[in-house]
Amino acid sequence: MIGFVTLALLGGVLVGLSRQLNGRLALSTTALMASFWNHVVGFVILCATLLAAPTLWPETMAGVPLWAWFGGWVGVVFVASGSWLILRIGAAATAVLVIAGQMVFGVILDLWQAVERNLALDLLGVALILAGVALAASAQPKE
Amino acid sequence: MTTRNLHHLLAFLSGGLLAVMLLFNGTLAAQTTATFASWVAHGAGAVLALALLFLRPGARIWRGGAPAWAYLGGLSGALTVVVTAVAVNSALALSGTLALGLAGQAAFGLLADRFGFLGLKVRKPGWRAYAALVLVLAGSSLVILGGAG
Repeated sequence: MIGFVTLALLGGVLVGLSRQLNGRLALSTTALMASFWNHVVGFVILCATLLAAPTLWPETMAGVPLWAWFGGWVGVVFVASGSWLILRIGAAATAVLVIAGQMVFGVILDLWQAVERNLALDLLGVALILAGVALAASAQPKE
Repeated sequence: MTTRNLHHLLAFLSGGLLAVMLLFNGTLAAQTTATFASWVAHGAGAVLALALLFLRPGARIWRGGAPAWAYLGGLSGALTVVVTAVAVNSALALSGTLALGLAGQAAFGLLADRFGFLGLKVRKPGWRAYAALVLVLAGSSLVILGGAG
């Protein structure tokens, strides 16, 4: 169990490390260039993964709705914006605000899709998140 | 609105983009496999980013003196897919994996700022930054619970 907890924590660390690396590349090039290389390098690695483990290739793609093929396009804007923002507000503020937006919009998307949720927990959670966002806005970082 | 407030708002909205992206990629993964969905997302993203680079000559700085390792953000991203796929299939399930991942990401951000990891600027967070982080993580845990049950 402790191994899985470590893996789950590592998953988050890797997200932060990826943003730090892309931010460093954006520092020398541009945020769009960082997003481009992020996707190219990831694509090459995943090509190798699929070639090495062909069972990961799906047996059928018939049930995929058309829009679901385009998440990568949203990802281009997301990675470019993260690479741009980390240089301006820092890694911690970027992480905290992206998490806040992810959670609040995640609830909205779920409700829009009529996914069953515990509304009391949602309301309390969103209130805490928004209080955190307001507090982050009032923080004055020492540099 | 100050420039800093605008940057905070943009970061919050980009979190919204992430939620949309996860809905798209999650739907694709549910109908196929997680690795295939990530492969499609990276391929489609690379094509769009290349097209945007051709439309914006100002963004075409290919090297700019960046160290070679700075190009490995995509490696870290691809590893994330593998690591979280294993954790999701344990007793942690999706909610536990998500909550721990957010904590790991926030902790990494604090350390990265404190020591200026990988050549980015050193920033010493004040008490408000820590408190904001605690509030957002606590609220996120409740939202994750709200979705799980």
